[in-house]
Amino acid sequence: MIADSPIAIQLIKKVAAQDREAFSQLYDRFASLVYTLALRMLKVRHDAEDLLQEVFVQVWRQAENYNEERGTPEAWIINMAHSRAIDKLRSIRRREKNIVFTANPADAESAGSVESSAAQSEVRLTMNSALSALPESQRKVLELAYFDGLTQTEIAERLAEPLGTVKTRMRAGIQRLREIIGSRAA
Amino acid sequence: MTTRHETWLEQGDIYSIGALDGEQLKDFQVHLAGCAICERHVRETRQTLSALCQSIDVLTPPSSVKAGVLATITAAAETRRAFAPRRVSMAWHRWFFAGAVPFAAAAIFVFLIWNIMATRNEVARLKTQLAAMQLDATQNDALIQSLSDPEVRSIQLAGLAAAPQARGKLFWNPATRRGLLLTFGLPRAAPDQAYELWGIAGDEPVPAGVFLVDDRGETRFVIPELARERSFDKFAVTLESAGGVSKPSGPMVLLGTL
Repeated sequence: MIADSPIAIQLIKKVAAQDREAFSQLYDRFASLVYTLALRMLKVRHDAEDLLQEVFVQVWRQAENYNEERGTPEAWIINMAHSRAIDKLRSIRRREKNIVFTANPADAESAGSVESSAAQSEVRLTMNSALSALPESQRKVLELAYFDGLTQTEIAERLAEPLGTVKTRMRAGIQRLREIIGSRAA
Repeated sequence: MTTRHETWLEQGDIYSIGALDGEQLKDFQVHLAGCAICERHVRETRQTLSALCQSIDVLTPPSSVKAGVLATITAAAETRRAFAPRRVSMAWHRWFFAGAVPFAAAAIFVFLIWNIMATRNEVARLKTQLAAMQLDATQNDALIQSLSDPEVRSIQLAGLAAAPQARGKLFWNPATRRGLLLTFGLPRAAPDQAYELWGIAGDEPVPAGVFLVDDRGETRFVIPELARERSFDKFAVTLESAGGVSKPSGPMVLLGTL
C-alpha cells in the first residue's frame, strides 16, 4: 500500500468536514495511483488527467459516505477510478465501434516521471510476482477485464474462446489473487 | 453440486471486475440490491482487485491537474456559500462589485454541470433500486399468498449447544414448497461464514438457502422454492462457509421438528 490506511482514514474524515488542506494531502497520497490506473486503462494522457480530476472531485463530494469498515481508502478511491474509467471506455467504444489495442497501453503516451519510493517498488514487485505466478491464460483474462474494461463476452470473442472457459479462468485468477493478497496481509 | 448462492457468488466475481454483461448483469444487479452476502463478497473482491494497480509502474500526474481539482472544489464551496441564506451587508456589496459576478457565474456553471452528472448517476442507481423493490414486492405478495394457506405449518427451532440462546420460527407450506424463517439471538457470522438452512428428509439434509443475521442475531429469510421430491420432517440451521455448501459440515445451531 502506498499510504497508511489510518492516516488516510483521518484525512477522509477531515475532507468530509470540508477541510481543503486535508483534501490536498489526500490528493498527494493517491493521485499518482489513480492517474497510473487511468492512463493504463484509457491510454490517452488528456483523458487520464480528466478522469483524475473527476475522481477527486467525487472524493471531495462523497467523503462523508466513506465507511472504513467497508474497505481501505485506497480501495475506495481506486474502485471509484476503475468504475469511471470503465464507463468512459465503454462510452468511447460505443461511439467508435472500433477498438484499438496497444501491446502495452502504458506506453501509448509517455507521461510524467516514474515514482520510485522503496515501499512502492516493493509492493509493485510483490504484485508483479503475484501476477506472473498466475497461468498466462488467467492473467490475460484478468488484464483484459480489469485494465481494458472488456466484458466476459468481449473477452471470449477477442480470444476466440468459449464464454464458459473465460469465466472459469477469470474466477480462478481472482481466487488465486485472493490467496496471494491474503497471505501477504497475514 | 453448485448451490444457487454459489452461482450468485461466481457472478459476483465477474461483476466485481466489471466483466459481467447482458441479462446476467441485470439479474445480478437486482439480486445484489437485496443480498447482504453478495454485497459483502463484491466489496471484498473489489478490495482484492484494487491491488492490481500496484503491478504497474506509478506515474506522476502533471501539477496542473491538482490546481484544476482545487479550483473546482473551491468553486463548488463558494457556490454553496453564495446560495446559502445570509444577511445583506456593506461587505457583501464590496465583494459583489469587486468582480464576483463572473466568478459566481462560472461557479454556478461548474456546479450545474456537476449536478447534472451526479443526477444521472443517481437516476441509474434509483432505477436499479426500484427494480429490486418491485421484485421484492412481487416476492412478498407471493410469500403472503403462500403463507395464508391453511396448510402452512409453524415450527419452533431451538438453539443447540453452539448457540444455546438462539431460537427461530419457521413457516413452511408443504404444498408450495416455500416458507419463511425468522431467527433471534444467533451470533453474527465471521466475514467468511454464513448460516445455511436445511430441510431434513429422514437422515438426508437438503440445502434450503444461505443467510446472514444482523447485530441482534435476527433475520427474515424467505425460503426459495425447494425440490418436490423430498418430504421434510425437520429443519436445521448450521454455520458454514460464506457461499454455502451442498452437505452440512459446520456446527448445527438451530433445530426444529415438524
